[in-house]
Amino acid sequence: MSRRGVGLGAFSNRNQTTQSWATHGANLRSTHTASLQTQLSVFQSLLHTFALEHSSEIKSNPTFRAEFARMCNTIGVDPLAASNVKGKNGRRGLGEGGSFWTQILGGDMNDFYFEVAVRVVELCRETRSENGGLIGVGECRKRVGKGKAIGSGLEVSEYGCSCVRSSWGKREANLLDSDDILRAVRSLEPLGSGFSIVTVGSKQYIRSVPKELNTDQATVLEAIQVLGYVSVSMLRLNLKWEKARAQTVIDDLLADGLVWLDAQGPEKEYWSPQNLLEDSG
Amino acid sequence: MTAPFQFPPTYNFPPFFTPQPNTNTRHSQLQKWSSLIQSWCRHHRQYRISLIEAVETPLFHNAALRKRLDLREARAVVDWMSKSEEEGGGGRRAEWINESGKAMAWIWWKRPEEWADILVDWVEGTGQRGSVLTVYELIQGDMTMSQEFHGMDTDVMLRSLNILVKRGKAQIFGAEGQEGVKFF
Repeated sequence: MSRRGVGLGAFSNRNQTTQSWATHGANLRSTHTASLQTQLSVFQSLLHTFALEHSSEIKSNPTFRAEFARMCNTIGVDPLAASNVKGKNGRRGLGEGGSFWTQILGGDMNDFYFEVAVRVVELCRETRSENGGLIGVGECRKRVGKGKAIGSGLEVSEYGCSCVRSSWGKREANLLDSDDILRAVRSLEPLGSGFSIVTVGSKQYIRSVPKELNTDQATVLEAIQVLGYVSVSMLRLNLKWEKARAQTVIDDLLADGLVWLDAQGPEKEYWSPQNLLEDSG
Repeated sequence: MTAPFQFPPTYNFPPFFTPQPNTNTRHSQLQKWSSLIQSWCRHHRQYRISLIEAVETPLFHNAALRKRLDLREARAVVDWMSKSEEEGGGGRRAEWINESGKAMAWIWWKRPEEWADILVDWVEGTGQRGSVLTVYELIQGDMTMSQEFHGMDTDVMLRSLNILVKRGKAQIFGAEGQEGVKFF
């Protein structure tokens, strides 16, 4: 076999060999695909069953939901990405293609995150002049959970399964996890919305103004987190900064609306408006 | 007698009493002041405030924090409130009683037009279209006891009624101080 044929016959011979290899390859590929497909469909149906069985739990229990999402992530299924593909007309029947999650959860899972996202966006817009577009994830969760952002409860999509017709309005604040907020914010990324998550010290914030914090600014914000407020002399003392540096950072934060000025003390104090949200509204 | 006024969290935020240098922040601050002043006046059923007196009340003076809004700043807030939103103000939620002095101002936690609507609703709801009432009855009468306009400032009542006159929904007659009103 390995001997190269000679003469004209070798050409057609070689052709034949190539062809048979090609067919063999194609065969292999198709069996491979078939088995993969079977595996995938088995896996999907298992996931389907699982999701169906636990759908109410997924939607009502934030810890469970987070775990489920984490599990999906590890096996490379992004519940958000999978449910992002929404049909042009929402009233698509089950099993009519479209998103995997829409089929499983009756379009409720993606709607859930989208609703959260819409509320987060609303809240960020509403409070932007107050906090310069930086809002703590925890504060955001509390406010969004209260359902203050948009009227009362949101309507459940008409094509949702009756079994999972859990109305958003009935959700309580504690049914919303910080993880849900983070996930919702991430779901906005494909829109190029400029919403991002930043971590300052031990706290996570949603940044709704596309502007980076430099290290000095982050340091000062972290100090405010701990101390409640800062002043130029406090920064000089604690961080060993020169006066000009401390003043510049504070002026920048002030210009971005990230801190408020109190000039009625012996020295100018700079406060973070984060606590303002705490229980207002 | 009445429940104490519940101050919003902003009231305990020290920078709230310093005019903010950042324009956006300042705008947010003015909005918060406006809504605080309105709810304060509403709580105390106050229709006008004298700034000179008000700066000594808890409204503008947070004794616990030892922060205060001084007269000049309080004036700036009311000035902002008196402008319409198009002018970059607070939607005409205040009005100087004497524009030049800027010492007394109406605080419109409900604007006269809003009061006019409420009066119309009340008249319709109680089937008093066509009847004649005195202004005194409207303000102090037993039948308006449950209404928010009960005990209202007479000037505000007359202003609201005059709006209804302009709309052709009421007619005012009688001598000053003893006005009567007929609703159509």
